[in-house]
Amino acid sequence: MTSATTSSAAAISHEEEVRRLERREGWKRRLPILPALIFTIVVTQIPFLFTLFYSLTEWRLDKPDPRKFIGVDNYASLPGDKFFRDAAWVSVQMTVMAVLFSLIVGTLLAILLDRKFFGQGLIRTLLITPFLVMPVVAGFMWKTQMFNATFGVINWVLNLFGFDSIEFATRFPLASVVVVLVWQWSPFMMLIVLAGLQGQDQSVLEAARVDGATTWGSFRQITLPQLRPFLELGTLLGAIYLIQVYDHIEVIVGGQPGAKNLPFYIAQRSIGGGNRFGLASSYSIIVVIASIIIANIGLRVLSNLLEDDS
Amino acid sequence: MAEVRYEAASRLYPGAEEPAVNKLNLDIADGELLVLVGPSGCGKSTALRMLAGLETVTSGSVHINGVDVTLKPPQDRDIAMVFQNYALYPSMTVAQNMGFALKQAKVPKAEREAQVREAARILDLTEYLDRKPKNLSGGQRQRVAMGRAIVRKPQVFLMDEPLSNLDAKLRVQTRTELVDLQARLGVTTVYVTHDQVEAMTMGDRVAVLKFGELQQVDAPRTLYSAPANKFVAGFIGSPAMNLLDAEDVDGAPGIAGAAIPLEESVLSQLKSQDLDQVAVGVRPEHLTLGTTGIEGEVTVVEELGSESFVHVTVSHRGEPTTLVVRDRGETETGRGDRVKVDFGGPIHVFGSDGLRVEA
Repeated sequence: MTSATTSSAAAISHEEEVRRLERREGWKRRLPILPALIFTIVVTQIPFLFTLFYSLTEWRLDKPDPRKFIGVDNYASLPGDKFFRDAAWVSVQMTVMAVLFSLIVGTLLAILLDRKFFGQGLIRTLLITPFLVMPVVAGFMWKTQMFNATFGVINWVLNLFGFDSIEFATRFPLASVVVVLVWQWSPFMMLIVLAGLQGQDQSVLEAARVDGATTWGSFRQITLPQLRPFLELGTLLGAIYLIQVYDHIEVIVGGQPGAKNLPFYIAQRSIGGGNRFGLASSYSIIVVIASIIIANIGLRVLSNLLEDDS
Repeated sequence: MAEVRYEAASRLYPGAEEPAVNKLNLDIADGELLVLVGPSGCGKSTALRMLAGLETVTSGSVHINGVDVTLKPPQDRDIAMVFQNYALYPSMTVAQNMGFALKQAKVPKAEREAQVREAARILDLTEYLDRKPKNLSGGQRQRVAMGRAIVRKPQVFLMDEPLSNLDAKLRVQTRTELVDLQARLGVTTVYVTHDQVEAMTMGDRVAVLKFGELQQVDAPRTLYSAPANKFVAGFIGSPAMNLLDAEDVDGAPGIAGAAIPLEESVLSQLKSQDLDQVAVGVRPEHLTLGTTGIEGEVTVVEELGSESFVHVTVSHRGEPTTLVVRDRGETETGRGDRVKVDFGGPIHVFGSDGLRVEA
């Protein structure tokens, strides 16, 4: 009787001890993450809530009126706002073109890099460098050294062949920005596709050769289907970043019409002189919602990718 | 239906000193199942890939059905290959995997489907035709890889360790199924393995390779009873042959102070040789435990139920040496027992050049 009581008491204290150790283990894991988590909340989520609130107000810095709560009026005015519609259309065109072309160029580069040749490592590094250049620097480089009508390399080449100089940034503002974006983002796509190509089982390609497939046939029927998740991943990550492009537009085309996307227009309507902070905030919320939709699709693709591996 | 011939075929990898396959000469008859076997790095897979066209033949030539295919790409050789990891096309269903080669050859769809169904029936894969490879078990994947090969009705099957990714039980079962299938189809097959048991049980003939050189090619039985050299003697057979450098006992080769019963013709061939360089080999089943012979101490008993292998340590050339003796199952012999080992069967003698001394 006595011994049974002692053992059950010991069992309870043992269970408690286990629970205490598990709690401590949990904190050991959580604690190192906390500073980063708090920082992220402070610099992203709190401002987001403020933006959400501002988007429901009429708030202008050029008038003495106090900030006024107006409900969803800002949002209601968006469909009728020609500038907003233009900016949204530019955003769509810019993102789609930049993602699509950088994906194509990146895939072609990846295919070239996915074979052994002398100096492979050096060339791979050189091909990655555009991605490492700061967006503002990239914008200035292209504006002054490539596109410029007087000093630009492209016009110099055109002149060599007897063509007249073209002020690219003025005549083709959207195309000019897209070219620079493709130049910067192709290396990113190249790295993702290259990872896909190098993860490919070589014996599968050998089996296809033995089975009589041509080079193009085995690329189309074997390699491309296997690259699909990588191409999707590149598309989504690229789209999330490229929907937010601002620097390139500011540097290359400035305030010219034709290449103003939503982020640029948001800046212009608020701190850029428009002074309509409430309205600009509602644009921001729209961009955030669009990004969340894209990111959600992205996460689903990522989980599919991991499922395929297991 | 085709015979295969290697003519002094070599593969020298760029930057390598020694060729991976060195002047391989091999004739494989129509409908034969020939096994290439050897330890890893012996060049057996390279030799197979040379036949497939996946590896450049740096000198010599390879012929299929009398046609020199040395410089032809794989797709022009009319061969089918089964890879070690099966190399199934991951994005295609089982049916698409099996029909892939026919599709490349532009076989009409209806005919293609009929042939795939026929192959699936033979391999018992019919209910899996719409599945992707990742949803199949290892054994099913292996069968799909086989199916992909037989749908083609090729001149030659090439198999690169097709069973090595299966678990032990399934491997033994698939082994017999594969031999039966090959015999029924009657297609010339070259089969690579590192497993000498697989080689012995499957091959019509077995070719043993070492360091890229062909050691011996013979029927399994001959390989076992008359190994051409020391390497083959040690490689073929499980447990391995007792293979020792001989001791000079009164001018004749011996083991642990005991002369070996050898035929006069063998002894006369050894007269000119230094007996220290001569090797003698006896298989475990040709040694007996009894009341006469070499004395030693039992160190390990491996009991398998139907038989047992007794490791006896004897003093040979002044050093403790282990002889493995096959005993009956449920043996009374135990560790530490003093026993006597006697000869009870053929003894293989290899001269100082490592080659078999034939009686």
